[in-house]
Amino acid sequence: MIELTGPILAVSAALAIYFLLRPGRGWLERWRRRLRLSDRVLSEDALKHLYHCEYEQRVATVQSLSGALGTPVEKVAGLVQRIEAGELATSEGASLRLTPKGREYALRIIRAHRLWERYLSEETGLKEPDWHKRAEQQEHRLTSSEADALAARMGNPPFDPHGDPIPTQRGQLPPRRGQPLTSLEVGERARIAHLEDEPEAVYAQLVAEGLHPLMVVQLTHLSAERICFWAEGEEHVLAPIVAANVAVVPLPREQPVEESLESLAVLEPGEEATVVGLSPNCRGLERRRLMDLGLLPGTVVTAEMRSPVGDPTAFRIRGALIALRGQQAANIRISSRRQVA
Amino acid sequence: MSPANTREEVLEAAANLRWEVGPNLHDSLMEALYTDAARITDRVLSRDDARPAFDLDRTIDRLVTSRWLGFPIMMLLMAVVLWVTITGANVPSSLLSSLFLETLHPALKQAAAAAGLAWWLDGLLIDGMFLAMAWVVSVMLPPMAIFFPLFTLLEDFGYLPRVAFNLDRWFKKAGAHGKQALTMAMGYGCNAAGVVATRVIDSPRERLIATLTNNFSLCNGRWPTQILIATIFIGSLAPPALAGLVSAGSVMAVVLLGVGCTFLVSWGLSRTLLKGEASAFSLELPPYRPPRILQTIYTSLIDRTLIVLWRAVVFSVPAGAAIWLVSNIHLGGVSLAEHLIQGMNPFGLLIGLNGVILLAYIIAIPANEIVIPTVLMLTVLSVGLPGVGEGAGVMFEFDSASATLGVLEADGWTLLTGINLMLFSLLHNPCSTTLYTIWKETGSVKWTAASALLPIAMGFLVCFCVAQVFRWLGG
Repeated sequence: MIELTGPILAVSAALAIYFLLRPGRGWLERWRRRLRLSDRVLSEDALKHLYHCEYEQRVATVQSLSGALGTPVEKVAGLVQRIEAGELATSEGASLRLTPKGREYALRIIRAHRLWERYLSEETGLKEPDWHKRAEQQEHRLTSSEADALAARMGNPPFDPHGDPIPTQRGQLPPRRGQPLTSLEVGERARIAHLEDEPEAVYAQLVAEGLHPLMVVQLTHLSAERICFWAEGEEHVLAPIVAANVAVVPLPREQPVEESLESLAVLEPGEEATVVGLSPNCRGLERRRLMDLGLLPGTVVTAEMRSPVGDPTAFRIRGALIALRGQQAANIRISSRRQVA
Repeated sequence: MSPANTREEVLEAAANLRWEVGPNLHDSLMEALYTDAARITDRVLSRDDARPAFDLDRTIDRLVTSRWLGFPIMMLLMAVVLWVTITGANVPSSLLSSLFLETLHPALKQAAAAAGLAWWLDGLLIDGMFLAMAWVVSVMLPPMAIFFPLFTLLEDFGYLPRVAFNLDRWFKKAGAHGKQALTMAMGYGCNAAGVVATRVIDSPRERLIATLTNNFSLCNGRWPTQILIATIFIGSLAPPALAGLVSAGSVMAVVLLGVGCTFLVSWGLSRTLLKGEASAFSLELPPYRPPRILQTIYTSLIDRTLIVLWRAVVFSVPAGAAIWLVSNIHLGGVSLAEHLIQGMNPFGLLIGLNGVILLAYIIAIPANEIVIPTVLMLTVLSVGLPGVGEGAGVMFEFDSASATLGVLEADGWTLLTGINLMLFSLLHNPCSTTLYTIWKETGSVKWTAASALLPIAMGFLVCFCVAQVFRWLGG
């Protein structure tokens, strides 16, 4: 028999105290840090709103700020005072303007936001609806040196996945481009430049339609009730109020149509086709993997067999037999589909 | 113009141009690189493009992925592998156990007595550490040494990727990869080996899913527990002629529940915890080739069997010590084991188990093989049955099912305890060997913790619900 009651009690008490007060990572310390963060988040969101108004040449007021932040006007008034005391913005009558210092600050937050969206779209498995939400939080946490490191790791991308420019390290942005989809004429072709990610419900609808930046669209019908257009071989119908959230850059009319209409998913076993390219919808790891497999413009692909339950399908690609899921095959554009000789 | 000025201007021009090159510059560059590489290979490499009249690979592929024969062939092969493993492992298993437990153990005890070793040192080293290790080796080694080479042969031949091809659609619905079918099958041999096998899944998210759910494949160490408990608690309910069938059926039901949990948890994980992990499906169907039998046996014994066995031995030694110590250290005159059993009993009974089972699952964490011997030893210790078993801290097993039932019933076990033990044996944290392997493979404490906490939470929940329903029905 070995008696051990006392020592066990002493050790557990010591452990509990250690976890509560651990320097830097203790529970008390974490809780205090969280309280401090929420104040900063609110003023940073306010600066962002002021910047967006300036970029889109709208006037920012306490009311517009209250609407954008979803915070009551009385609380926003206090917030504006704090921002002004920090020399980040000034008010002229009802309108609020950023000071150069405030603009620099806002651009830093926007840079972090868009970089993070880019990161999520390229290197994680998260889907469109999550990017914006997560970036809204991450933008307040990334320091500017972390943002620079992230940008360097991704090869300094110029645009975020919605087509918005990412401010450079020195805070430069190009002039605003694109016009609403609804401003096109019937028959005109244009390239999607930007999908507005707010409000969320509208953005979700655009994503569900399969729209993404770089897609080429051609307008077929426009009326007060609906707008119809072709994109990647499919006809889409949207309400004009939804379509107004899609910004496009018109294409010259004489440029020949190079977009292929068919995808690898339509290939039946025993048929072959030539790859034209990968859809922009296919990003990051998935895109690199498909390229690694040899799915490049000019590659001839033969459908060999289909799984007994219908999906995936095995394709002969450059001598190797590779199974791809229907969803993936739909992102690979092909031309000259034919029976194998 | 000074050079500094020029440099500024160049940078300025570059900064303005970056908006003009378009969002896909890197992509176009990459595409061009790949295309160039492909063009160069096409120029120097000549291929025989004519399709031969008879292509063996294609013929086999047609057969094993055909609508009517694909699944029957798959099940037949799996059944053959399992049958060979189970029947083949019986003889070496009993040989090893008689060598270790009936010959070596008493011999060591005698030698220790002759050398005048202190009682506690003798107990700790021989009854605790040696016995746990011997038990794990004798039960674990033979089935693994048969199962893994067979499995590796099928892999080497090229058949296994076709299984993934046939089953992928269902796994896709759960957010998983078809190759998870293979890691699951491997898990029926040993979860630690199943976790290592997830390396064949090259998409990060799907690989984590396969890792975290491998535990739902009932491993080699849990089959004997299932069969024993099914025989004495469920088989005995049926008329003697049907007893075997009924108990086998109930074990199969637990296995199928495990498959169900795999899909359910995969589905849940891919939508919650693992939503953010990158994912890219790809499945290569390599050409068939004659298996290299000797090489396969060698590598599967070294890479899979021995590594796993070594880890199990390393973990079972301290666990053996822990099992012996909790039974022999006393606080206030009562053994630590009894304190713990008393402490956990209310919760255990609430979920239709008992304190002994919970304690056994904690201290026998290194290997599921030693759970039943530990349960028996703790039961005898806590109920205080004189003359039964081998003494405090010494694991043992009975030769007959009725003797086992006698001891368990003396501790108040009912049909509910039996059913819930079967469920809990499926739904509890993986053994420490598997946990260590998960940690090695993922390099993450977070995923290791998730893979332990998730099944145990499910186990508590399921056992609790079953207990409530059982009591409500007046069982």
